[in-house]
Amino acid sequence: MSNKKKFSISDWLNERLRLDKLPFFRTPDYMYNAATWLGALVAAAFFWQAITGLILLMYYDAGNAYNSTISIINDVPYGSVLLFSHLYGAFAMILLVYTHMFYNYFRGAYKRPRELIWILGIILLLLTLGTAFYGYSAIGDVLAVSALDVGSGILSGIGLGSLVPVAFGDYAAGNFSRIIGLHVALAALIFLFFALHFFLAEQQGMMPPRSVRPKAPAIYAEEEEKNFNPWWPRNFVYMLSLIFMTWGWILIISNSLAYLSHYPVYLDPFLNPRPAPSPTSPAAATITAYPPWFFLFFFKMADFISSFPALVAVGAIPLIWLLITPFIDRSDELHPLKRKVFTGVGILMITYMIQLTIWGAIAPAKPATPEEITLVFLPPAIIVAVALPFIKPKEDIRAQNRGLGGNMQFTYLAMASIFLLSAVLMFPSPTLLGIVTSLVLLTGIAAYSDKVFPTMKAAGTSAEKATTINVSLERKKKLAEVIIAILFAMSVIIAFNMWTVPPKGFYSNLFGIDLGLIFLMLGTAISLYHYVVYKK
Amino acid sequence: MKEYKKIRILGTSDLYFVYKLLKVMRNPKTKFDGKEFAKKGEDYLFNYVDKNLGGVDESRRNFLKGLVFGVAAATVIGIIPGLRVLVPPVQSVTGFPKTILLTASGTPLKASQIPVNSPITMVFEYPLSGEPNFLINLGDASGKPVEIPPTTVTIPQTGKTYQFPGGVGPNKSIVAYSAVCQHLGCTPPYIHFYPPQYTTPSQVTAAEPNELSAAALIAARSAHIPAVIHCDCHGSTYDPYHGASVLTGPTVRPLPAVILEWDSSNDYLYALGAVGVATYPEGSNGVPSQDPREDLDESQFGSPVGTSSKISEINTFGSS
Repeated sequence: MSNKKKFSISDWLNERLRLDKLPFFRTPDYMYNAATWLGALVAAAFFWQAITGLILLMYYDAGNAYNSTISIINDVPYGSVLLFSHLYGAFAMILLVYTHMFYNYFRGAYKRPRELIWILGIILLLLTLGTAFYGYSAIGDVLAVSALDVGSGILSGIGLGSLVPVAFGDYAAGNFSRIIGLHVALAALIFLFFALHFFLAEQQGMMPPRSVRPKAPAIYAEEEEKNFNPWWPRNFVYMLSLIFMTWGWILIISNSLAYLSHYPVYLDPFLNPRPAPSPTSPAAATITAYPPWFFLFFFKMADFISSFPALVAVGAIPLIWLLITPFIDRSDELHPLKRKVFTGVGILMITYMIQLTIWGAIAPAKPATPEEITLVFLPPAIIVAVALPFIKPKEDIRAQNRGLGGNMQFTYLAMASIFLLSAVLMFPSPTLLGIVTSLVLLTGIAAYSDKVFPTMKAAGTSAEKATTINVSLERKKKLAEVIIAILFAMSVIIAFNMWTVPPKGFYSNLFGIDLGLIFLMLGTAISLYHYVVYKK
Repeated sequence: MKEYKKIRILGTSDLYFVYKLLKVMRNPKTKFDGKEFAKKGEDYLFNYVDKNLGGVDESRRNFLKGLVFGVAAATVIGIIPGLRVLVPPVQSVTGFPKTILLTASGTPLKASQIPVNSPITMVFEYPLSGEPNFLINLGDASGKPVEIPPTTVTIPQTGKTYQFPGGVGPNKSIVAYSAVCQHLGCTPPYIHFYPPQYTTPSQVTAAEPNELSAAALIAARSAHIPAVIHCDCHGSTYDPYHGASVLTGPTVRPLPAVILEWDSSNDYLYALGAVGVATYPEGSNGVPSQDPREDLDESQFGSPVGTSSKISEINTFGSS
């Protein structure tokens, strides 16, 4: 090149940090989509938790848990922005962990040679839920204390009462040191296991789509991987865009909810970012205790499984199933419709969990009759058992390669979820919910498991691609450039607005919404830049 | 993948590509280097095409990069005011609030119902939470309330003096002092009021926190007062009848007094401010400020008590 000596930050960093030599997976062009990067979304949420959590730790007082929580909301500058986004960051992380897990469950990603990555993932799920439990309890409100009471009750109920002081400390006397200590310790463990999980995944490489590797072991040959994109700079750019978009949504949702009111009471566990009253206040007596939404399913199960050992045993079944799946599903098939038992169990796990969660929210702590239990659990099982054997996988890959957009799968699931949510709002019935959920999942898997990545054909060398200049792509890139310029202008306006938001009081959450918007814009701008520069 | 590739005849897009390629090759900025090509062959050609045609040309890419860095810079500028999240909120009040004293159940405290010479220590927080003060209805040895006249109090450490305003209430016998010992900051139950029935030689052998040193007893006798405030941590003794002035060391400062107001129409009591040294001495030399308002902007991380403060009772002497 004639302009070889021109200074470039990217080259400067690369020369010093050897970024292109990082021992990371080289990524093929068709893997730059959110579904392949679900793990990165989980990590992004986790990083947000680490940042906000460490700041919150400076203000939290374990000897004065409730008052210091309230003081963070009312007295610390932008404290409510911090606390609410930490809460909803945890919610986002839990949802993303489940999405990441089930996506890979249905794809058979746990098969050889990724069994250990899968098991590390299940450990990470448990650590995430444990950290979330302690974080929720650290608030010190009446709900936190009741959650801790239930936790102690379960431990005592299965004969481990002597572990109560070890696990929860003297919270009843107002000492939350152990709660916050274990919250931070478990979060540190998440980081440790995440590092292992991540590096193992990078070493094996991301799992190729079935059209590239239809059978396990689904890995790329070394020569093949050489043709793919190195981590620096493309993956770095793409990763940044995902991180900022995740942070943006966490901030926007949590801080908008601070201004939401007038919704049905049973949505309180999902939509209310504020703590409940103090356990010592007179208002505490009027509160019906409920657990955080991610444990509502377990809470509802306690309504019809009265003995604690039985409850824990039933709760452990799906967990054991997930842990042993790689060792019992030993065929080399990856197609979900060629592993129907595992697909069916997966659909039922999701359906039952959603059902029990919503049921726990609309009828908390109400005993269920055997008829009700049957009506809730039987229809999804029948639907799956009857329909699944009749859905045939489509063998011919070429026949399937019709122009479905890359994000159709997500659009479908998003629309189905919105439909589900509105159905639940109108007719809050766990039976109906079970039927609809299982049907949505079944049709989703039947219709889209055969989908081929549209860019799959473009696996040749870069020169082959360069010989066609796609005119409509050029037009899209021009549009993307215009949008980046608009985003820049808007981000400047928002940045100035952020200087005018008061740090405390009712309006302070506008800062969180602004910050979320500006993160979202930054993420979108980076994503569009990635599109313009790399899309072929 | 090769098997799926369609065979194509030259189309318009190919012609357009050739046109663009030639233009780029002639452009001096992105001139095609024939020597490099001869040396590296195919690789050079593919890289060249990819860099100048397949992707986005350098200047366009840099312009976009600039825009993205612009959004990033806007983000950083927007975050700057948010860094205030790292500044701990200093709880301060701009002035002393007028605070009504309430009983433990939350109803206003009636001055005439405060027991005289009570062995049960009554404490209220003022002006910030975590800053306890004694509330005492003083009486003589026989338990009759005594009028506490205004006095001039001397600070032994500095030799300076200040005016203690005296007692309030129906008998002008009610006083309030900081319950944080000026020696090393002990708080109740270690520091408390010893009513006349406990300011006796039998307390010299009593267990902590009710022990009374012989020196304290002798000082009380020589000052002709029937009761004292005594700190069991290190034996500091204060004279509640004369503005909590120092009776015995090791303290070198009297307890600051809370200025009370009695509303005779409804018998309510209000705290208005403080007089004497600051509750928390400033600086490493321990020299007190003469201005109690120094406490208000001192960061003790309590929150302002506001317009009402509840009395809590500490029973050090037990039921006996």
